[in-house]
Amino acid sequence: MSTPARRRLMRDFKRLQEDPPAGVSGAPTDNNIMVWNAVIFGPHDTPFEDGTFKLTIEFTEEYPNKPPTVRFVSKMFHPNVYADGSICLDILQNRWSPTYDVSAILTSIQSLLHDPNPNSPANNEAAQLYRENRREYEKKVAAIVQESWNDDEDDDDEEEGEKS
Amino acid sequence: MLLDQFNFHYISGWTAVASWRWIANDENCGICRMPFDGCCPDCKLPGDDCPLVWGQCSHCFHIHCIVKWLNSQQVHQLCPMCRQEWKFKE
Repeated sequence: MSTPARRRLMRDFKRLQEDPPAGVSGAPTDNNIMVWNAVIFGPHDTPFEDGTFKLTIEFTEEYPNKPPTVRFVSKMFHPNVYADGSICLDILQNRWSPTYDVSAILTSIQSLLHDPNPNSPANNEAAQLYRENRREYEKKVAAIVQESWNDDEDDDDEEEGEKS
Repeated sequence: MLLDQFNFHYISGWTAVASWRWIANDENCGICRMPFDGCCPDCKLPGDDCPLVWGQCSHCFHIHCIVKWLNSQQVHQLCPMCRQEWKFKE
């Protein structure tokens, strides 16, 4: 069934393929365009470098007038990511705009890895270490970077295409 | 005879073709991402049935797209592009 939300998501997918932003990728799941899998590669010159972080994005029929729910599936250690993987990011909540698309969402999350906002912490430990003990913060992040590679091996069959 | 040097052709009928397009500062609607010369995803035909509308901030959308967005906002009604308060341009 084609609805405005689904048609918009087809456009988002087309744009993502034709004009792929560096360091992120995403695609709808096989049988449901309302649920996407995505990968964000840890940005260079950050402790997240070389990580391959998987996310799911769930849209409603109200998209793009309502933001999707975005969640890290890979374990994350970041001041603005909750323990369940959900993300505290203004543009996914009160500063959402219907002009955003999947490409914009993924690049915004990528830049959040770059620039955490320790003033609105979702993970107190991460926020505190980020402010007070950067070396320990980087050590904890290095551990989840390692773990992000392990998830790739768990479900090789479905995610093979996203690794190259 | 002089007239014989000319071949006269008579036009028996003609078909006019016209084209139109919206004059907007962009190709696509920023909300639905469909071309302005097409229509919003809720409509079937472009043109008067699915017009464009401008805000005082000069940003432009399909009228159906911007109205749907404004109706979904409880507190402030902001332009999706520049976040200024949305006011329809007269």
